[in-house]
Amino acid sequence: MMETQSKSNDDAGRVGGVDVAGLERQLASRWRETAAEEVGGKSGVTRVCVANLIVYASAAEARPELDKLLEEVAAQTPTRVILLLADRGGAPRLDASVSTRCRPALRGRRQLCGEQITIEAGGGVIGSVASAVEPLLVPDIAAFLWWKDIPNGEDKLFSRLVEMVERVVIDSAAFDRPREDLSRVASLVASRGEEMRLSDLNWGRLTSWRSLVANFWDVPDYREHLDALDRVEIEYEPSALAPKDVAAQALLAVGWLASRLGWQPSGRRVEDEDGLRVGLASGGREIELALRASGELGVGAIRQVAFRAGAAEFRAGFGAGGATVETSAKIGDAPIVGRVVAYEAKSEGQRLSRELSILARDEVYERAVAAASRLIATNAAGGI
Amino acid sequence: MAATVLENPLREGMRLERTAEPCVVVILGASGDLTKRKLMPALFRLAQARLIPAEFAVVGAARTAMETDAFRAQMRDSVAEFSDEQEIDTQVWESFAQKLYYVTLDISTPADFKGLGALLEKVDREHGAQGNRLFYLSTAPQLFAEAVKQLGVAGLTKSRGWVRVIVEKPFGSDLESARELNRRLHEHLEESQIYRIDHYLGKETVQNLLVFRFANGIYEPLWNRQYIDHVQITNAETVGVEGRGGYYESAGVVRDMIQNHVFQLLSLIAMEPPASLDAEAVRDEKIKALTSARAFTAERVRADCVRGQYGAGAVGGETVVGYCEEPGVAKDSTTETFAALVMYFDNWRWSGVPFFIRSGKRLAKRVTEIAIRFKDAPHQLFGREMMDQVAANQLIIRIQPDEGITLRFAAKVPGQVTRVRDVNMDFRYGSSFGVQLAEAYERLLLDCMLGDPTLYARTDMTERGWEIVMPIIEEWARTTGGVTFPNYEAGTWGPEASDELIERTSRRWRRP
Repeated sequence: MMETQSKSNDDAGRVGGVDVAGLERQLASRWRETAAEEVGGKSGVTRVCVANLIVYASAAEARPELDKLLEEVAAQTPTRVILLLADRGGAPRLDASVSTRCRPALRGRRQLCGEQITIEAGGGVIGSVASAVEPLLVPDIAAFLWWKDIPNGEDKLFSRLVEMVERVVIDSAAFDRPREDLSRVASLVASRGEEMRLSDLNWGRLTSWRSLVANFWDVPDYREHLDALDRVEIEYEPSALAPKDVAAQALLAVGWLASRLGWQPSGRRVEDEDGLRVGLASGGREIELALRASGELGVGAIRQVAFRAGAAEFRAGFGAGGATVETSAKIGDAPIVGRVVAYEAKSEGQRLSRELSILARDEVYERAVAAASRLIATNAAGGI
Repeated sequence: MAATVLENPLREGMRLERTAEPCVVVILGASGDLTKRKLMPALFRLAQARLIPAEFAVVGAARTAMETDAFRAQMRDSVAEFSDEQEIDTQVWESFAQKLYYVTLDISTPADFKGLGALLEKVDREHGAQGNRLFYLSTAPQLFAEAVKQLGVAGLTKSRGWVRVIVEKPFGSDLESARELNRRLHEHLEESQIYRIDHYLGKETVQNLLVFRFANGIYEPLWNRQYIDHVQITNAETVGVEGRGGYYESAGVVRDMIQNHVFQLLSLIAMEPPASLDAEAVRDEKIKALTSARAFTAERVRADCVRGQYGAGAVGGETVVGYCEEPGVAKDSTTETFAALVMYFDNWRWSGVPFFIRSGKRLAKRVTEIAIRFKDAPHQLFGREMMDQVAANQLIIRIQPDEGITLRFAAKVPGQVTRVRDVNMDFRYGSSFGVQLAEAYERLLLDCMLGDPTLYARTDMTERGWEIVMPIIEEWARTTGGVTFPNYEAGTWGPEASDELIERTSRRWRRP
């Protein structure tokens, strides 16, 4: 990751409205100063913007961590960031400030810079703050909303911001009631349909695992075993936010498998100290699904997945130390084929940046969430 | 490959890029530089990116006697030196290294190929490679045909899976040898099994040419003789022959660069829109474009082609020797290290539009770019005094380094009086996409494993390239045409005759 320099401007707008033209003037002035400083040095700056990113976060959010993350995003995807810090329980206020964010380009070339507008809103002002955001969006390029909270279709600000953007990014790893919150996401997706394209950073974290799992059945000789699975085991670290609940990432993984392979609850369900075991049915065949928490509290990340189809076993899991992933495929008495690959340890900034490169609707995710939600709803009848 | 992906319901909607099928890659000539610098680092990165599956192995084969363990150790050093990996995890490397094998093999010895076949059976069984085999011919070019013959005789061009063969450049040294090589390859292989590699086509910006031209609606109406005055392709290197004097003496820049790399770029610029992105549809349009290239007669070679050879000079502040002082080069060599030519396409789109091409070694700057120079505005409203710094609109497509696209147009200089000057609208890969561009070999190896030959040259393309340049090669071999070498100083933009070539049409070379 390249080093990033931040330059801040403390000039602020006034309560009662954001002076949009004034903010743009401040930014222009900021750019002139930055360019003059750099040209006085040697390299000069290039102002780049390939996307708008609206970030909604609570005013209580740890700013240094958020700033660091946004710097990482800027290094990957130069954006205009509109950071909306909401103090819902606080006194009415509306302040705005601008800053530029530069990173040195390669080989001594011009620095590449993005910009940020921070809006701090409190109390009743929050309901109308979306009207201050819209005129600040750079026209003709995609706009994304990173909603750093549990999405709520009833929330006026959320609904208004969703209308402005091409894609909404959430993070189900931050859910403190994963089953309930994931079901709310499923309802939201179902009700909004084409109006809202949703990304989930936690789904991005799962992508690497999904790919490893899918890889097994890319091999023509193994393909038949996918239709004959009789046991699936998913091991995950318990979420620090909901240690007693099944982690959202594991729920998403189950939803994905169920939606892709047509699994339905069969009515068998056991939950004890070894975890949760449910029976799933597919084409007259029963599959035992085991979900097991292990290790220390974390974000609820998956640690290992294992599949069994008679004498065939497929496994992918973290190696010792967690920096690598080991996979193995064992078909009866044939030699075990496996490998060790480095785990894609992406930073959160890299993950968010990755989401900003995707505009299309992710129907596989939507179906996975819907399937997970159905299995959650049938909890008593053998769901998860 | 698409069929496999569709058959796996878990693969649908996967954000990760395409994954190859299981296979064994066999590198013939594995002790050479290409394996160390490019192939093994590319395979390792593909494995790390999980673009190739666990059911994969590499067999290195070469005349050098070596044990598999020594080969593995050598490859580890190569990957560490030539890949961008910051640090190679020991466990990860060991897992990859377990899939590497080495066998001593003399291309002229049939028994060695039998041994290779036995090893492949074993490797296939142990790694579940499904009988899929990719042979990479990284040997000396004169051994390509013999290697394929031996593979054929040993029964290795057929398998229960697929068999593909990548043939490195140079593909022949003239039209006759290229045809002969094609004929001999076709004795043992179907055309669909042959992948003639041109690493230029693996570059992101070259692939972007197709996207740029055919995914944007605004350029197509302008992309013809009505609006384009001329096209310039510059392919300049600052390096000399880098110890390859012996090879270069029998090659020259026309064989080494123009006939393959430059013609690939040329065909992508000149081609008509393909009906689809299917490999054959794209390659059909590329060959159609080259087929309409006006032939070089001896008279046209004298009029429209310029050759040069560098003398001593300085490149980037460093003093360098002339070509004839390079090791392996004859003191009185007449091999060209620079060529400039004008090409025309006799078709509706390009009739009368000159394509100026220049390529050479020891030039002022390392750059490969395509410059599309549009025609002037039909009527100039602004007087000469207002337009003193204005040239025509240009679209510059930079292939390397600093990959990107620049559009140059006129704008008013702020102020009370109207003054106009050129400004650039820049797109740079490095600025807009904060990702590292993949190495050309990674893309091309993966494409071959996926059975996608779009970025590989077809028989007709290689032969057409030779057909176009043969009159130049023959005329220059027949006579020096009064040219005395060296005729340009290292670190400049080639001989004066190159400037004269374009200036006589009242145009000038761009300064890249």
